[in-house]
Amino acid sequence: MSKPQSDPLLQAETTCGSLLYELQIIWDEVGENETDRDRMLFELEQECLEVYRRKVDHANRNRAQLRQAIADCEAELAAICSAMGERPVHTRQSDPNAGSLKEEHARILPQLEEMRKRKSERRNQFIEILEQIQVISMEIYGPREYIPAVVDETDLSLRKLEDLHKQLQALQIEKSNRLKQVQEHLYTLNSLCSVLGLDFKQTINEIHPSLGESEGNNSVSNDTIQRLAVAIQELREVKLQRMQKLQDLATSMLELWNLMDTPIEEQQMFQNVTCNIAASEHEITEANTLSVDFIQCVEAEVSRLEELKSSKMKELVLKKRTELEEICRKTHLVPEADSAVEYAVEAIESGTVDPACVLEQIEVQIAQVKEEALSRKEILEKVEKWLGACDEESWLEEYNRDDNRYNAGRGAHLTLKRAEKARALVNKIPAMVDALTSKTLAWEKEKGIQFTYDGIRLLSMLEEYNILREEKEQERRRQRDLKKLQGQMIAEQEALYGSKPSPSKPQSVKKGPRMSTGGAASRRTDKVDDGVSLSSARRGLDIAGVPAKKYSFGAGSTRDIEPPPLARQPFSPITSKVSSNSNMANGKDELNIQSEKLQRTVSLNNMPFSTPSKTAAILVDEENRTPKTMPIPVPSTPSTVSVPMKMVMTPAHPPSSVVPLRGGELVQEIEYSFEERRLGFVLH
Amino acid sequence: MASAAVPASLGRELSDPPSDGISNLRFSNHSDLLLVSSWDKSVRLYDASANVLRAEFMHGGPVLDCCFHDDSSGFSAAADNTVRRLLFASNKDDILGKHDAPVRCVEYSYAAGQLITGSWDKTLKCWDPRGASGQERTLVGTYPQPERVYSLSLVGHRLVVATAGRHVNIYDLRNMSQPEQRRESSLKYQTRCVRCYPNGTGYALSSVEGRVAMEFFDLSEASQAKKYAFKCHRKSEAGRDIVYPVNAIAFHPVYGTFATGGCDGYVNVWDGNNKKRLYQYSKYPTSIAALSFSRDGRLLAVASSYTFEEGLKPHEKDAIYIRGVNEIEVKPKPKVLPPA
Repeated sequence: MSKPQSDPLLQAETTCGSLLYELQIIWDEVGENETDRDRMLFELEQECLEVYRRKVDHANRNRAQLRQAIADCEAELAAICSAMGERPVHTRQSDPNAGSLKEEHARILPQLEEMRKRKSERRNQFIEILEQIQVISMEIYGPREYIPAVVDETDLSLRKLEDLHKQLQALQIEKSNRLKQVQEHLYTLNSLCSVLGLDFKQTINEIHPSLGESEGNNSVSNDTIQRLAVAIQELREVKLQRMQKLQDLATSMLELWNLMDTPIEEQQMFQNVTCNIAASEHEITEANTLSVDFIQCVEAEVSRLEELKSSKMKELVLKKRTELEEICRKTHLVPEADSAVEYAVEAIESGTVDPACVLEQIEVQIAQVKEEALSRKEILEKVEKWLGACDEESWLEEYNRDDNRYNAGRGAHLTLKRAEKARALVNKIPAMVDALTSKTLAWEKEKGIQFTYDGIRLLSMLEEYNILREEKEQERRRQRDLKKLQGQMIAEQEALYGSKPSPSKPQSVKKGPRMSTGGAASRRTDKVDDGVSLSSARRGLDIAGVPAKKYSFGAGSTRDIEPPPLARQPFSPITSKVSSNSNMANGKDELNIQSEKLQRTVSLNNMPFSTPSKTAAILVDEENRTPKTMPIPVPSTPSTVSVPMKMVMTPAHPPSSVVPLRGGELVQEIEYSFEERRLGFVLH
Repeated sequence: MASAAVPASLGRELSDPPSDGISNLRFSNHSDLLLVSSWDKSVRLYDASANVLRAEFMHGGPVLDCCFHDDSSGFSAAADNTVRRLLFASNKDDILGKHDAPVRCVEYSYAAGQLITGSWDKTLKCWDPRGASGQERTLVGTYPQPERVYSLSLVGHRLVVATAGRHVNIYDLRNMSQPEQRRESSLKYQTRCVRCYPNGTGYALSSVEGRVAMEFFDLSEASQAKKYAFKCHRKSEAGRDIVYPVNAIAFHPVYGTFATGGCDGYVNVWDGNNKKRLYQYSKYPTSIAALSFSRDGRLLAVASSYTFEEGLKPHEKDAIYIRGVNEIEVKPKPKVLPPA
């Protein structure tokens, strides 16, 4: 039992005491014993202790929770601060006089809130940046390089943020670089497409659709950039190829223009092609200069020119061939027959021979012939002089036969002068021939080949001429002897018969009517070796002027006597018919004997001294025989340098005729119009 | 001038005619200038209305054809294988080019701006006369023909070529690489002359056997059904027909009717659509070698000149007559339908 106190405890005690007093009263009333009273009082105290203990535990627990809360807050704060890289804001240790727990707690909570907010803000910043980074790196590296935008919670420091910023910047720079690169590539592509005539939009759309949009974001991925680079490379190659092709075409075009003398107007059209013929790759920048269409156009032009050239080639070939023939003709060379050239026209047309090749061959031949011509020039000049002299010689011989030559007539003085000159010239002939022979020999020795004149060896010609001349000379001498003999015989006769035969010896008759050309013919026979028999030879063989000659004088001596008896019938009309008939017999005999010689001389178809025999024959024929169509027209003056036998003209065939259409008769064979017949035009 | 013996019904005789046969004559498209080519190797330019010789060009051989370019120049085709351009004012000519044989025909195409020549060397050649002379510059193309070219005619872009062997080639001047059509003459005898209708639908072709065929370009059944041939320039004597070559055909520029001239010395005018003969002029002294209407169709030039159809023989002198043309001679007379 405790006594009532004055303070609140006292109050309590009072209350408790009052309660206890009351309890005692009660007990007294009740009559509780002491032990029961003590026991109850003890129970009472125990129960009171229990309540106290409970309350104390509770308060203890509260205090512990509070401490825990504060510790938690502090821990979280520390974590946040460390994550954010800041110094811890608040620690218990740093502030021992913090005050009560509740105060502390109340103080720390807002700080925590504050930090939480800041952390969250910071985190958001991170997220933002990371997202940006993610976007850009996806743009750059493609979706494969996905960087998850996950924030590292443990590191939200400013430094990290700065790092991320730097990263982002780097990526942005990278992106802008790539954009620039892409732009550059696009620009290059554009210019390439323009030059090549390709569609730019289509090309870049194939690479990546985003590139085609003018405003949109261009893809800057590695892939895109690589493909752009590849495309540029390809197009560059194409450009180079086409440029090469175009330049080749331009070169061909220039060659063809050169070859065919194309007019300027045509060339102008392709000026833009040829101006680039030597340009390098980067110099060709005009639009469409290398487009497919343009190149095809140029190709078409080149092939057109080639066709033109090949059609002209034929003309060229023919022209060249004519040139070759002309040169050969002028220098008296026989052009070599070349099988390719011979059939040039047909061969070219049928495509079996390349005209350029044929042209080359002909050119080569022309060059060769020109060279030869040069070397032959000197000798040819001499030959011309010699042949001219021979012509004069034959003219002179004919002139000498002309009985009227001393008659004064128009131009008589001119012919006299000419005869004088001719005689002088004739005297020079032997010297000319010798000089020519020696020169020709020297030439032949030097060149190692024969010198031919229209297909015949010049030396043979000269030799023949010499031989013939000698024989002529011999014959002349013989005739002179004969005359002497005749003179003697006449004198004998005179002595025998006492009368003179007619002074006109037919042989020596120079003047007189043309009819006596029969005698003149035989006189000619004396001098020029059987003009008449020659004519018969010609008649028989139709060869231009082959001299048939008396061979040996021994054998000929009997024959020598034959003509004189004929000639010595002064009063018998010596028609050439008679004489020529007999002479023909002679001629034929001689002909047989001389057949060998004839064979040899057949080749001398362009012997100038054939002219006199020709002339003789013709004169005879004119006078006394039915004129036959002579293949060579009658020259009144000696012909110029003679034409080879091969070129004797054949008489024109009368056209296979069309019966004039009257009464509906049909045409026969080749038809001709009236105009063609009027002109004498015939198809060959 | 006209001899007293010549009746006025033949027209006015041109003074200063050529001294030998006349191969062709043509009126200009712009005036009454008349170009005449002759066997005396000359081409003469006359003012037909004034009856005056204005220019003369001598050639290396007989001139077989001539044509106008305009009133200041013309072209000629000669037997010396040359094609010449003739400049009237200066009386000078230059050689435009050559063939390999006598050039028989020459025509100038205004549509193509080219000169076309046909020759007995079996080729057709096209020339551009605007270039300088010399064959390399002026020759546009050479086109082989099956035979010697005897006659040719142009209308618009069409060219008709008649050759020996009765071949007829039809070309489009815009594409000469191939003939548009290859035909054979419908007539059985040698072709003398071919002329295109002014309306460009076809051509008339005459032969040495007094016959003319009227042909059409369009190969459809309908058009080909319209073609026909008729006999003309024949004389009946003792029960037999004497048949004369028809040397010349000329179409009237206004009415589309045409005149034919034959070796019988007559000129007939025909209406091709109605298949009638409209008129026959008085007989000329000798064969009709050529005919030409003036640009307005009021004049007809007739070359009365022996064409050598019977070989060398004495003949009337060669003369050119210019006659006025009356409407009644050339205007077509449509068939009068019988009253229903």
